[in-house]
Amino acid sequence: MPKILVCYKWVLNEQDIKIRPEDLSLDASRAKGKISDFDRNAIEEATLIVEQQGGTVDALSYGTPAVRQSIKDVLSRGPNRLLWIGDPKAEEADALVIAKVLAAAIRKSDPYDLILCGEGSSDMFYQQIPARLAALLELPCLTFVARMTLEGRTLMAQRKPGDCTEMVSVTGPAVVSVLSEINKPRIPSLKQVLGAAKKPSEEIALDSLGLAAGDLTPKAVRKSPKGFLMNRKNVVFKESDAAANVAKLVASLKAEGLH
Amino acid sequence: MSILLTEEQELIGQSARDFAKEYLDPIVVDMDHTGQYPAAVVKALAEHDFLGLFLQGEYGGAEAGYVSLVEAIENLARSSAAVASIVINHSLAAYAIQRWGAASQKKDYLPALAAGSTLGGFAVFEHGPTPGVGASALQATRVPEGWALKGTKAYVRNAGVAGLYVVLACTDPAAGAKSLAAFIVSAKASGLTVGPLAETMGLKGCPVADLVFDNVILAESALLGGIADGNAIVTETLALASVAEAAQTVGIGQAAVEHAAAYAKTRVQFGRPIASLQAIQTLLAEVATDCHLARLGLRVAAQLLDQGEPFQVEAAMVKQFLARFGSKLLIDTVQVEGGFGYSEFMPLPRLFRDIAGTTLLEAPADYPEKTIAAALLA
Amino acid sequence: MPGIFVFSEDLALAKQLLTPGLALAQALAQPLVALATGQAEAETLAGLGADRALVLKAERSAPEALAPAIAELLTREGASVVLVGGTLRGKHLAAHVAAALNAGLTTDAKSLVIVDGQLATQRILYAGLAVCDEVVALPAVATIPQRTFLAPAAAAQPGAVETLEVAADTRITVQSATPVESEGVDITAAIKLVAVGRGFAKKEDLALARDLAGGLKAELACTRGIAEDEHWLPIERYIGISGQTVKPELYLAVGLSGQVQHMVGCRESKVIVAINKDEQAPIFEAADYGIVGDLYQVLPLLTAALQN
Repeated sequence: MPKILVCYKWVLNEQDIKIRPEDLSLDASRAKGKISDFDRNAIEEATLIVEQQGGTVDALSYGTPAVRQSIKDVLSRGPNRLLWIGDPKAEEADALVIAKVLAAAIRKSDPYDLILCGEGSSDMFYQQIPARLAALLELPCLTFVARMTLEGRTLMAQRKPGDCTEMVSVTGPAVVSVLSEINKPRIPSLKQVLGAAKKPSEEIALDSLGLAAGDLTPKAVRKSPKGFLMNRKNVVFKESDAAANVAKLVASLKAEGLH
Repeated sequence: MSILLTEEQELIGQSARDFAKEYLDPIVVDMDHTGQYPAAVVKALAEHDFLGLFLQGEYGGAEAGYVSLVEAIENLARSSAAVASIVINHSLAAYAIQRWGAASQKKDYLPALAAGSTLGGFAVFEHGPTPGVGASALQATRVPEGWALKGTKAYVRNAGVAGLYVVLACTDPAAGAKSLAAFIVSAKASGLTVGPLAETMGLKGCPVADLVFDNVILAESALLGGIADGNAIVTETLALASVAEAAQTVGIGQAAVEHAAAYAKTRVQFGRPIASLQAIQTLLAEVATDCHLARLGLRVAAQLLDQGEPFQVEAAMVKQFLARFGSKLLIDTVQVEGGFGYSEFMPLPRLFRDIAGTTLLEAPADYPEKTIAAALLA
Repeated sequence: MPGIFVFSEDLALAKQLLTPGLALAQALAQPLVALATGQAEAETLAGLGADRALVLKAERSAPEALAPAIAELLTREGASVVLVGGTLRGKHLAAHVAAALNAGLTTDAKSLVIVDGQLATQRILYAGLAVCDEVVALPAVATIPQRTFLAPAAAAQPGAVETLEVAADTRITVQSATPVESEGVDITAAIKLVAVGRGFAKKEDLALARDLAGGLKAELACTRGIAEDEHWLPIERYIGISGQTVKPELYLAVGLSGQVQHMVGCRESKVIVAINKDEQAPIFEAADYGIVGDLYQVLPLLTAALQN
């Protein structure tokens, strides 16, 4: 009966973020939070394993106090318990800091048989946390996993690291990052949504993790976010006569030297 | 009392929105063209616990209350008002049985309704005057086995796909309108036939047909509530319908507003997006405001229901508001979109036809004004 | 010894890394060291400007398996900047190395300069909605995508080649490896692309897009849904935030809505053309030219018109 941990990030929904046309600065005032897209696949995979063979799933997240809003959402998707570390400075954290905080929290709990992550977060898409976490915890790391099965202490996985499809296996605890193709995250049933309120969640105090100030200082610092506006010609042909539209397009392609 | 949602209610609304995007958006246009009942979607609704939202836990319901119900209905209706209709009419039957059913009836019928393995329907209207206002033409006569039902019910939603119907019938023609009683009737009852499906203007996909009762024999245990409870059952259940349909209407309105606003931003005339025109902004602002206020009004009614308090007056108020503004809402959004919005290619025509169904049909046994005036002038 | 270190298991990419590597080596007045897993590769890199090339001999050559050994080597050597080819395997390696070096790592860097003793670059945020500057203190690690830089010219003097025996991480057993069923096409090298989305109702309908692509001498590409959900085209043709990034001369987007997660993969195309029946689809805001219409009607007409 495996003890599984899923790491997730609570991010802003990029569809709610507006770009101010005057200076291209970002307006996130109306942006709602969501579970990072690929982390949903990780949560779903953990839940599927435990539904098949028993065991428990803990969910873990490090973020600003806004992470509180994620608790019921995450718990409605299968995990039995949620642990979270709130830190107002989490927004400036880079992958170095995030991985250290998560690793410190993981070391404080009883060992997990499997640690699952998404391939990368939908806001920053560093694609670093899984391998960093594994390095810090000295665990083997299986990245880009498209399918996996857990039998006892042996994990078998199909990896798609870009140049081939690999079948791999590892015995003992490991960190795994999953691809979005691994499963289709369920929409929680309404009873699951309501059941989330009954599941335990616990805030882990950042200063209980034994991290030095240096550990919490990001080394990759982001500055001056600016909206990316496509600056295109936006010439649209929309007459009811398709042939006329096509003729105009072909003429434009010729003018651009593309035909 | 708060008009703001609890976290659960918000999450339920969000789940309904996600469900609608996943399961309803892909089928809604075809369903509107063919009128075909979306059996697979209803099965998915059942699996996601939408069909037992306010039913008690001991019968397998989610016990989530009525504010959750209206949140779910609005969010489903934003994608498909027809599917919302299916859920609403099922909910009316479930509500009536939970509210007035004897312990044995609740045990017998509610679990299947909660699980969605049986769909419900609520048969009250007839081709003649509305029962309660006039006498019901559907007669229930005492026979040795219990009751015999003879007559026809009209405009029954979910007809033909429901597994059971709550049927309002007249038990004593001499007593007229006051002798209304409710019965739980299995769709398989011998003598019960479903008439041909009506071709409706909108809400296509939610089946509508007559139910013909040709000497349908029911056991005594089929009586729902007391023999004189029929009027109360109709009044209260249709008040719930008002609230639920208000949520459905607001959902349609919300979809229309969003579509029109998105359109106004991209449609350029005389060098500017029409969204910059005062007239367009006024139309959109009015429509958005009507939706917002209606939503608050129906939430209040739903909260009163949650608290077990009388809610019929508030339900009548929101019904009356939407009867006046529901169609205006769609007329205004079509005005924003102009000829483009008028084309069947676009969602607005379907929304227009759907909102006609939700705002103009099914006046309760009492017209809304009468309910409100009665409360004021008592 | 402090230095600029470069590595990629893909030789072509490794050669490209030497260009920013040389620039950084000059800026920091430090040697440029290339890591490789084979003698021939090391010699090639030494001939293109690396001051030293180290052949890492181990029982495995996969970057992930060499991660702990490379991390240890770089710690010993005191690397200032580590450039890793941004393949998926490279990203895994880079993250492990960064953790071991207690260093910051910038992913998918398209440009790198030293400013005030730190590595400065740009990042894409929010699935392509925004960009920002990123500054990484040294020692720093960076992953660099293919074709961001050109390989440098031959060096006047080839660098020294050494061999080092290192231990591979064998905790994970590789049972089998099947090469990707590649059609042998590299869409990132295509000059013209026709990209398809969910506007196509069924797989057979892609023939319309193929005909058009043939007429344009373009390659076929697609959105994530077409590759991952529908499996109508192989993953190597999927363009988007977790797929390929392309910058062809012409990107013709047919029946796709133009969501930010897709557009981030093609927005540097020289000319973008959209064909979609929904006038409000975001693709039209991202396109230079567009036709509002039914692709089933437009595509045959366009294919025919291009033949004349």
